Amino acid sequence: MNDQAVSDPIEAYLDRLLVELSGRARNVRRILAEADDHLRDAVESGVAEGLSTAEAEQRALDRFGSPSTVARRFTRRPGRLLPVPVLSQLVLALALLAGVGLVGIGVSGALAGGMGAAVGKDFVSGDVAGVTYTPARCADYLEYHPEAGTCARAATAHHFDEIVEYRLAAGILGLLVLGGLFLVRRSPRLARVIPMGEGVGLLPDGFVATTGAAVFGCAASVLIFSGLAQAGGGSGGAGGYLSGGIVAAVIAAAFAVGLFRALARRALVVDAVDDLAGLRPSPGT
Amino acid sequence: MKSDQLKGHLDVLLLAVVDVRPAHGYAIISALREQSEGAFDLPEGTVYPALHRLEEAGLVASRWGEVGGRRRRVYQLTGAGATALAERRIEWKQFVMGVDNVLGWAPA
Repeated sequence: MNDQAVSDPIEAYLDRLLVELSGRARNVRRILAEADDHLRDAVESGVAEGLSTAEAEQRALDRFGSPSTVARRFTRRPGRLLPVPVLSQLVLALALLAGVGLVGIGVSGALAGGMGAAVGKDFVSGDVAGVTYTPARCADYLEYHPEAGTCARAATAHHFDEIVEYRLAAGILGLLVLGGLFLVRRSPRLARVIPMGEGVGLLPDGFVATTGAAVFGCAASVLIFSGLAQAGGGSGGAGGYLSGGIVAAVIAAAFAVGLFRALARRALVVDAVDDLAGLRPSPGT
Repeated sequence: MKSDQLKGHLDVLLLAVVDVRPAHGYAIISALREQSEGAFDLPEGTVYPALHRLEEAGLVASRWGEVGGRRRRVYQLTGAGATALAERRIEWKQFVMGVDNVLGWAPA
């Protein structure tokens, strides 16, 4: 370091900034070059205002901030992990989707129960052709449903109970999840415990609607296709798939409406961008 | 206005400045100070990390250019930046209207 660098406060500042900075060499060089430009401009401006060079240099450095402050802002880079508020909002959004899904499963259980009552349990939980059970398994089924008379009918009745009851249980779990989410959103105490970025929407606009429409839409397609294939093959059990598929399709449609509304809001933004483009001065003006 | 009060608004202010015309860092900060009539009192060096962050997010683009006989990094708004700025302007208007309505200062 020569004497001029030592006596020049701008050079001394840049040396200290270089020591504080970390990261890729190209970025560090760019930061130093921009800081150098900025400080020289600020000194020129101060001198033009009537300050002495020393006063202008001091004001420029004071306004720029300490090397450690500036370097700290540069090194505060996004890490590999998502920031906690983003992660919190993501977890809550996924919990909402999971809750809706579980409630949907519960509704499909009720629908399957209705189908069984209207059309017969075989439509909901009948086995595909060729399925057989061991004598021990048949004995279990007949123990649960002695009124069925045959092993196949007892198995169908047992599967029907499982479909309806397990799905209803999932629905109750979903209601608990949604209730918990409602409490989190309404309770200031819980909102403070869960860092959510001061309530600012950190996820992309329409994230839940897009994800929900996609996930439940896919589920509806697979379930309805499976149900129709089952029905077309003459096997029982189509209603088990169709009940789930119908509910998934309804949920997907609801999310699709939300997605449409989110896209409609984007139209307002497009209009605003067009307006701004009309107001923006052309280059050279 | 202290720098902590500017937190959360600096990015959109920078986007608004480079929306007017491409500019280098010193010109951006000067425009911020002049247009706010000196209200924004923040360490000027902390504006550059914000500009770099906006560039990483694709909201502004930068290139070295010759300005006033010196080589400088010039920032300009991207299409994504224009969209983000328009969104934030709408949100800000809604926020201001809401606050005005609550405070009873909204024009009749």
